[in-house]
Amino acid sequence: MRDWRAFVAARLALDTLEPERAARIVRELAAQLEDFARDARERGAGDAEADAFAEQQVADWARLSADLRRADRPHTRSHVDRLADALVARPEPAPFRGGSMMLSHTLRDGRHAVRQLMRMPGFTLVAVLTLGLGVGATTAIFSVVNGVLLQPLPFPEPHALVHVHEVVPQYGRFSVAPATFLDWREQGTSFEHIAAFGGTSGTHVGDDGPERLTGAAVSWDLFELLGVRPALGSGFTADQDVPGANTVIVLSHRLWQRRFGGDASIVGRAVTLDGVALTVVGIAPESFVFPATTTEFWRPIAINPANATRGGHFLGVIARLKDGVTVEQAGSEVKTISERLAIEYPDSSANESAEIVPLHDQIVGPVRPALLTLLAAVTVVVLIACANVANLLLVRATVREKEVAIRAALGAGRRRLVVQMLVESAVLALAGGALGVGLAYLAIAPIQSLSAGSIPRVTGVAIDGAVLAFALGAAVLTGLLFGLVPAWRASSTGFGAVLKEGGRSSSGGGRWLQNGLIVVEVALSVVLIVGALLLLKSFGRITGVDPGFRSENVLAFQVSLPARSYAADPQRIAFFEDLQTRLQVIPGVRAAGMVQSLPMRGSYVLSVVIDKRPPLPPGEGISANYRAVDPGYFDALSIPLRRGRTFTARDTETAPMVAVVDEAFVRRHFPDEDPIGRGIDIGNGTDGFYEIVGIVGDVRHAGLALEATPTMYVPYRSDVFSTMWVVARAEGDPVSLAGPIRQVIRDLDPSLPAYSMTPLATVLSDSVARRRFSMLLLALFAGVALFLAGVGLYGVVSYTVNQRVREIGLRMAMGATPRDVLRLIVGGGLKLVVAGVAVGLVAAVSLTRFVEAMLFDVAPTDPWSYAGTAFLLIAIAAIACLVPARRAMRVDPIVALHET
Amino acid sequence: MFTPELKKGSIEMLVLSLLEARARHGYEIGKLIESRSGGRLTFALPTLYPTLLRLENRGWIKGRWVEKPGERERCFYRLTAGGRRVLADQRRIWQAYVAAVNDVLGVDRA
Repeated sequence: MRDWRAFVAARLALDTLEPERAARIVRELAAQLEDFARDARERGAGDAEADAFAEQQVADWARLSADLRRADRPHTRSHVDRLADALVARPEPAPFRGGSMMLSHTLRDGRHAVRQLMRMPGFTLVAVLTLGLGVGATTAIFSVVNGVLLQPLPFPEPHALVHVHEVVPQYGRFSVAPATFLDWREQGTSFEHIAAFGGTSGTHVGDDGPERLTGAAVSWDLFELLGVRPALGSGFTADQDVPGANTVIVLSHRLWQRRFGGDASIVGRAVTLDGVALTVVGIAPESFVFPATTTEFWRPIAINPANATRGGHFLGVIARLKDGVTVEQAGSEVKTISERLAIEYPDSSANESAEIVPLHDQIVGPVRPALLTLLAAVTVVVLIACANVANLLLVRATVREKEVAIRAALGAGRRRLVVQMLVESAVLALAGGALGVGLAYLAIAPIQSLSAGSIPRVTGVAIDGAVLAFALGAAVLTGLLFGLVPAWRASSTGFGAVLKEGGRSSSGGGRWLQNGLIVVEVALSVVLIVGALLLLKSFGRITGVDPGFRSENVLAFQVSLPARSYAADPQRIAFFEDLQTRLQVIPGVRAAGMVQSLPMRGSYVLSVVIDKRPPLPPGEGISANYRAVDPGYFDALSIPLRRGRTFTARDTETAPMVAVVDEAFVRRHFPDEDPIGRGIDIGNGTDGFYEIVGIVGDVRHAGLALEATPTMYVPYRSDVFSTMWVVARAEGDPVSLAGPIRQVIRDLDPSLPAYSMTPLATVLSDSVARRRFSMLLLALFAGVALFLAGVGLYGVVSYTVNQRVREIGLRMAMGATPRDVLRLIVGGGLKLVVAGVAVGLVAAVSLTRFVEAMLFDVAPTDPWSYAGTAFLLIAIAAIACLVPARRAMRVDPIVALHET
Repeated sequence: MFTPELKKGSIEMLVLSLLEARARHGYEIGKLIESRSGGRLTFALPTLYPTLLRLENRGWIKGRWVEKPGERERCFYRLTAGGRRVLADQRRIWQAYVAAVNDVLGVDRA
């Protein structure tokens, strides 16, 4: 016998009724149809005939459904209930409904959704792109923030790890003097371990030639302090951390693989560095990075307590706090010790103190503001993206009101319509989400390479699953929430009303929501764009700063002479003179010079005493940048001579001691005097006064953002360094000099590598890498925001035009010119934009002070940036309005008025 | 024979009056209207059933599911006290209305 209940259930749409009522109605209708069939059989009809007779009793199921819903109105559920039901798809089919039918519906809805979306490629593309950009940008940036700022350091109990600074009067937090470190270690009671580290390097000559390796000289217990055991070998012991006994080395995993083929038997054997045999006592774990990503080996620092300096600050110091000791307690202890030392050793340490910072803060502190700014920016982008998608869906919903009404009239139940709309939104959201995930994955590598030198820990950044889930969830939720609006409207106004109005129902509530979204979107964009313009302008300003030298076509590299084969100054001088001579004759070399410390690459500051001046009290002596250079240096970098002379080949180690100072030095120390001919005693280990013979232009040694500080130059032959930077100015591309230069050095000494070889222009641009990173990303986000705001506005204006075709036709019939129509439409759109811009500008004034620290030579209230933003947005808005407005101008009044 | 508008005005009263004597189920009500009117009045299921629902929601009739031995379950509707009052009112109004209409039409009242 026929299952009449299923028959009825499949045809009745009673979603707005309480389920019990719906079930009862189905039950009774089924009973009645069965009665009809039974009667027919009793009158002699066959089974099929009887069933057909019963089926014919109801011709119009949609109408019956509607009548029943109306008749049963007291049992109608509230809108909230219905929306909730639609949102939470009930997994178990209603008792009278076959499960397979639900499934087939969902599949059909999915196919239908894809078809619908394909039919409106413009809408679909924009919506998917919008969501994709939002999800992708957030995921990528949050992954960086998470990896850099939020993840704890990769060591056991990382919160107990601290960085210990000395605090010196002129410079604040400062590197630590070896003697001070020894005193902290001896007197401090807060530390389980305290260890010093400093940079070192060494040349290893392998089968494929010499290579300069970067390493770290560390206290023997540094690994233990960090809680890291070597992957192979046992590491350092205390008795190796003394001068003479420190001929041991721990290799990084990378170096071990790269240079020694990952041979485990290397442990216990010797490797040669700078001609000295060192026993390998360990291989560090692969993931171990300290103190820098470039560190490839570690050696015991072996400070000699007998002659440790108290005046030279060059060590980093980290410590692990004992259980229960707070950072504050440890801090006050080192402070006490240091202040006691300052009194004890006034000559070297007057007024010095000490400070403790958690190691995590020490490493990521400098980048925190930039990353948090970017995170805020990307959040704004997501908000704009969501507002935009919401707007697009609203517009689309209104456009489709008629379609929905027709389908309802044709018998589609509300529940089915709602589900269909939701499926459509979900498909859209998933597509956008998938695009976003793809974008995020693609973005991580460029972000890492863009920020590799300027953001710590960034190499370890990976897409975070939780972040991804969050971003995807946000996208899907936006889609679903606003996908429901049409369903909501349909059930509140009734489909019939929509049909009667010929698909031109303009529900005021929706318009209000759409306009509000546009204002919000524009305001958010304004904030972002103002921020981006400020950073852009800062970046322009900073890259426009004259560093005081010319970096174009200059190649820079280092050469280091090992103590073993170049023990004394004459040997080193001979090598460098020889090198200089040979460099000059390389074809394509226009000028070459040498310096012990390259601009933008670390400071080298020494104390100085000016002749014929009263002695200064301890701790208030003056100091200045110090550069030991060869005669070709000024020429190679085009540092201009202002007065007097620079160095010549006659300024040798036996000639009278001469020095050159820069204009900043003159301004600071000889404001009213002629410095030429005056003497300065430089704390570089030489005795006597250097006579100032020339004044050169200022050079920004410490970075483009920092004013040039007083600098003094001496001939390198009066203070010979074993490691020198060589700068060679080429006729054309400096990289073309690399090969010939390496050949020259091989000819001079096959065991020496030329290393750190880089165009000087790159050194300069690396010095602003962090700024460039923030600026580029913020500019990118601002661009996205601008694009999204434009698209959003276009959607709304376009919708308005559609809605007002009749009105426009009427106006034109009454004598309005196309120009009037243009004004009407563009004016309407611009009103929203102007409101948004106004709100945004006010918000920007109060928000941009957060980026103040990232600005250079630009005020956070820079009027040009604000005016530029307003102009940019209004221009984009005008374009976005113009396209639909032109459509409105072409409205034919006759057609428009007849259309309905 | 009768226009839907004409029928629509009387269906509620017809249903109520059929339930006056005893409880009946939906199908039976439809059949009774047909047979008692000599086939001149018929109400299709899509008209009749929503009426039952409406009447029940107004509290004038009350449905109860009954399963008799050897028969399928059916929903039997009975008149409530409220329904009874409404029916009396409607009858009175109807008769007054018919009388008025007949007066106008000049039908002989014999």
